[in-house]
Amino acid sequence: MKLLLSLVVLCSFSAACDKKDAPAPVKKLTLQLNWKPEPQFGGFYAARESGAFAQNGLDVEVVAGGVGTPTVQMVAAGKAEFGIVSADELLISRGNGADVVALFAVYQTCPQALMTHASRGFKEIGDLFRNPGTVAMQKGLPYASYLDKKLGFERVRVVPSPGGDLGVFRKEKEYAMQCFVTSEPIAAKKLGLDAQTFLIAEAGYNPYTTVLVTRGDYLRANPDTVKSVVNGVRDGWTSYLNNPIATNQMMQKLNPTMDMQTFADSAAAQKDLIQTEETKKYGLGTMRAERWETLGKQLVDLKVVEKAPPASECFADLLKK
Amino acid sequence: MIPLVIIVVLAEVAVRREWVASYLVPAPSKIIATLVSSRDGPELFYATGQTALAALTGFAASAVIGLAVAIALSSARWVQRAFYPYAVFFQTVPIIAIAPLLVIWIGYGMPTVIASALIVSVFPVIANTLSGLLATEPALVDLFRLYGASRSAAMLKLRLPFALPSIFTGLRVAGGLAVIGAIAGEFITGGGLGGVIDISKTQQRTDKIFAGLILAALLGIALFAIVNLASWLMLRNWHASERT
Repeated sequence: MKLLLSLVVLCSFSAACDKKDAPAPVKKLTLQLNWKPEPQFGGFYAARESGAFAQNGLDVEVVAGGVGTPTVQMVAAGKAEFGIVSADELLISRGNGADVVALFAVYQTCPQALMTHASRGFKEIGDLFRNPGTVAMQKGLPYASYLDKKLGFERVRVVPSPGGDLGVFRKEKEYAMQCFVTSEPIAAKKLGLDAQTFLIAEAGYNPYTTVLVTRGDYLRANPDTVKSVVNGVRDGWTSYLNNPIATNQMMQKLNPTMDMQTFADSAAAQKDLIQTEETKKYGLGTMRAERWETLGKQLVDLKVVEKAPPASECFADLLKK
Repeated sequence: MIPLVIIVVLAEVAVRREWVASYLVPAPSKIIATLVSSRDGPELFYATGQTALAALTGFAASAVIGLAVAIALSSARWVQRAFYPYAVFFQTVPIIAIAPLLVIWIGYGMPTVIASALIVSVFPVIANTLSGLLATEPALVDLFRLYGASRSAAMLKLRLPFALPSIFTGLRVAGGLAVIGAIAGEFITGGGLGGVIDISKTQQRTDKIFAGLILAALLGIALFAIVNLASWLMLRNWHASERT
């Protein structure tokens, strides 16, 4: 036994030591993303690449998603231990009886925005709805209902979102479309279009976005594992925000449709959404009960959910202070 | 009627017993409740009206354009060889792929939806009318020629009437397709049943999606019935297919 232990110790110091002989019992976990490898998940990939997960004896497989990947359902059904959802999605799912708990909020400011042509000279998001024109957004999403209630759609024509297709945007001047500030505006700039974006958060609807979640009973049964994952994720994000290049190169191999320049631009565009006054005070990924309560009230107001669950049920604060 | 009742009862039981999750397949009773509810009913029926208008307009355009194209194609063998392949293009074009382009070309709104309905429904009219026009009894064609009838007289008095059963076959197929085309267009431009189904999908309202699908199906059946009625009115006195 002693011999074995010393071997293990020796092994961990020896660079020549093969990975196969590594001692720690590695816990295999799955993190299900809701979109393709892009900078919005940079910190998760970085946590894996930099060894932040491995240091804690974790082997977290980061699984890319796509259009409509049902991450909430997958986590609730135990198909993945961890998933990425948005805060409003989580509240709706909890309302439907799915026990998912938020652990780490990447975007403190929701990147959902409306993009229009700078030549229209608009100053704030309300201008988009005070002036005649077309607004393309996915009706039925809570944020669209919120804008309808707050700003009114009477003066504009609301049409379905074209996804990321900039075809109509290029052609029509009096046109605005929903976007992520980390994505479409960068594509528009590449096409030589002078785009201007307004965050939905400006209008007062600001759910945490790209939120790491797990199942409630998994958290209760494995608090230490979950804690290690959350702290690994924070280390990953810290390293990604400092230097995204290596992780971007790695993600670009997985998502070759996006070029390195776009990766860099997108990573730069999201920085201010991730690092805010609150994260400076409480650390990256932090969540405040007040914001969950506000969101809950907004969703009840919009009749998206019947009753908002108490904030304390929605998230667990496991971050190292 | 009996198969329908069996399916509906089975679906109801399956959902109530939780053999299938209600967010995957809604209970038929839930769908009907949605259809008649004061919250969703009016919205659904208004949307059906919009879709009906677009589908009917597209269908009418298909009938006129399809007939004209088929008559032109039947005029000579070389015209057919040169242009029929382009008509086939309409049959193969994936409407979902070009609908976003239609929006860029035509803009948001009803005209795009009508164009979408037209594109998917015109080919069956062309193909069936053409095969009807080309299948005229050769003896009758000879007879017309013998009496020195003009080409237009032969077309109006012989070829077209002779082709009517085929034309109606084409129109029956086109009716259903026009509804599909209109809804596909509405997915992109919004409005109508396509718009409602799209929004309901975002809200995970499977019951409302199915309610929309039922209304779409009823619309297709209504168009089918209109074509059948026209067919019966025009053919009942002389053609075997409608003389029962």
